[in-house]
Amino acid sequence: MSTQAAQLTHGGGIADHIHPEPQGFVRRYVFSIDHKIIGIQYIITAWVFFILAGLLAETIRTQLLNANGGFVSPETYNEVYSIHGSAMVWLVVIPMLTGGFGNLIFPLQIGARDVAFPWLNMLSFWIFPVAGLMLFSSFLMGAPTAGWTEYPPVSLQGAPGTSMWAAAIFLVGVSSTLTGINFVVTLLKMRAPGMTFTRMPLFVWGQFATAPLLMIATTALAAALAALFMERVFGVPFYDPTKGGSPVLWQHMFWFYSHPAVYIMILPAFGIISEVLPTFSRKPIFGYKLIAFSSAAIALAGFMVWAHHMFTSGLAPYLQLPFMILTFAIGVPTGIKIFSWTATLWGGKIHLTTAMLFAIGFIALFTCGGITGIFLAAVPYDLDVHGTYFVVAHFHYVLVGGSLMGIFAGMYYWFPKMSGRLLNETLGKIHFWTFFVGFNGTFLPMHWLGVEGMPRWVATYDPQFEFWNRFASVSSYVMGIAILVFFVNVVWSVRNGKKAGPNPWGGRTLEWMIPSPPHYYNFKQIPTVYGLPYDFSHPLPYKGLEDELTDTPPVAAGAH
Amino acid sequence: MAVASVTHAGAGEPPADRLYAETRELRLQGFLLFLISDCVLFSSFIFAYLYLRNSGQGWPPPGIKHLDVAFAAWNSVLLFGSGATMHYALENWKHGNFIKYMWMLIFTIILGAGFLGGQGYEYTHLIFGEHVSWWGSGIFGASFFTLTGMHGFHVFVGVCYLTVLLMQSAAGVYTGEKYFGITAGTLYWHFVDVIWVVLFSIFYLI
Repeated sequence: MSTQAAQLTHGGGIADHIHPEPQGFVRRYVFSIDHKIIGIQYIITAWVFFILAGLLAETIRTQLLNANGGFVSPETYNEVYSIHGSAMVWLVVIPMLTGGFGNLIFPLQIGARDVAFPWLNMLSFWIFPVAGLMLFSSFLMGAPTAGWTEYPPVSLQGAPGTSMWAAAIFLVGVSSTLTGINFVVTLLKMRAPGMTFTRMPLFVWGQFATAPLLMIATTALAAALAALFMERVFGVPFYDPTKGGSPVLWQHMFWFYSHPAVYIMILPAFGIISEVLPTFSRKPIFGYKLIAFSSAAIALAGFMVWAHHMFTSGLAPYLQLPFMILTFAIGVPTGIKIFSWTATLWGGKIHLTTAMLFAIGFIALFTCGGITGIFLAAVPYDLDVHGTYFVVAHFHYVLVGGSLMGIFAGMYYWFPKMSGRLLNETLGKIHFWTFFVGFNGTFLPMHWLGVEGMPRWVATYDPQFEFWNRFASVSSYVMGIAILVFFVNVVWSVRNGKKAGPNPWGGRTLEWMIPSPPHYYNFKQIPTVYGLPYDFSHPLPYKGLEDELTDTPPVAAGAH
Repeated sequence: MAVASVTHAGAGEPPADRLYAETRELRLQGFLLFLISDCVLFSSFIFAYLYLRNSGQGWPPPGIKHLDVAFAAWNSVLLFGSGATMHYALENWKHGNFIKYMWMLIFTIILGAGFLGGQGYEYTHLIFGEHVSWWGSGIFGASFFTLTGMHGFHVFVGVCYLTVLLMQSAAGVYTGEKYFGITAGTLYWHFVDVIWVVLFSIFYLI
């Protein structure tokens, strides 16, 4: 068996050398080139921005407690929802899932010592907090007021902060593009011997499908933002119709990025769920190849559906139809995943840990969000509910109920690997249930509000909508409490949590084979991989890991 | 199997040439991916240009003369010629003809700088002769100056890079198999060439 496996190896431990251990606090924890530290830096920074953007969300809900508003002025309200959306998308979900969990976990899961370009990785990270501060500083000079999508001509007339917004998002984009390049090269070239594409853990597949999107789609957004910036600052006409430009051009360029961006925000979360479910069902994942290839299919198809955001923008009917049908088609690979996950649970020995609760919650809520997505893709229905709270409900079900639930599952699942300690399970369960109830209380009524015609992006509304708005606002405070419980849990557990040991969950992917937290060189010896990680009834498919939990020094390349 | 203690800096590293070959492979792939994303940047602006061009009342818009195709064509010859000399520079390097390599590199730099000069002349003529400007001439000025300016900036970066490459080569930085800088410069230069083929076609020929 070993000779057969040896023939299956590819590069044979490329870049298998150990960097000297970083010395001193600054090189170790601040300007670190270690992918694990950078991942944790991303995660912490993103949570800080999450708190800020979350406070903006509570401001929105407090304003909407009364039909007449009154908590903040309508102008401020416009700024608040614009920055809330921009920050949640670009400063929280995308960096958390790609730069954060991506950096932290996938090099471990493919058996690499680091990413391909550690210095570039450090640069990617340090652009991100700077851009985040720029985005929030736009409040000081008048924040953008046209929502996170910043459609011209409103964005052309917006306060000076709109230019700052464009510059900040451009910089986040640069950071994402560099991360994407780094991840693609790492995934193609630095897998451990025997780690073929069809043996990669599904979280790695999630990153593998996401990284090209980061690299390609983000650049398209950069062009749109650069044009917006040039038009606002230098008066170069691209979007102003009075000078021959076209506001619809922005919509095309923006959505050509931002539709793939929703897959950037969900594919890594799919990956997290695909790791958590088999581990806590003690059962091989159902349909490994289907889940893996459907991620790739979603990533590809994601580039061909952008105009379904523009059905009300005067798109020719002969163009609406293909975009509608292609969007429906994306429901197929997504459905394949949902059914595969459900089939993984079927007959498994299910451990309802907090991570597992979030994963199951993810399946339920993401399915709801996915189904309303099919509603919205249908041209006739979209014409009816476009720009209403139905849309708000839909994308919060996929972004909060999907991506954020995935992030929480990942936090509970991998926190021991980051810190060496477990998060408290009791607090975790309180967190899950309050969050689940608060989330549904907040966003479920928005479907009804939207169908009845309540428009989004308004500071005051018709009194007939007051009851469900109040219900949503109060529920959003419940969600806020749940988040507070989570932060208390993290802060408490990082010092006082139960010691985790290398493998607290009985996971079978490579990151669980080494100590928690791992050494800076990850593996003492690059392991050889003989099969899929998910076959729970079989022995582990790795060789060369015997010394990982002993005191022996690491071994690097040379004699391979 | 080399057993090494991690407490010593640089311990456990494979032989230098092997390490270099690995790094080169990674860098090459990373650089190609960078070029792909750069290509997407150009493609987005090209899409914007074609979109705006087809949404108005004919092209060029009223009040703007046709671009001078003949001049731009001669200028393009300089850039395409530099692509050829750069190709021979890399080939000569690979075959060990250092002197020929250096000459080809110098020709490339001169031709690239010549292209930039031609573009500067064309810009001057448009701005001062025909009063076309980046911001004041509607979508024509916006798309033409943004796209050709972006390309010109890429050529400028390329000329600077090749000049550094020339000095580094003279100083003996690149030896034998260690010439990733030259490969990257060649790839970048060809990329800039190909972008110009597209820009020339869509601005001057259609």
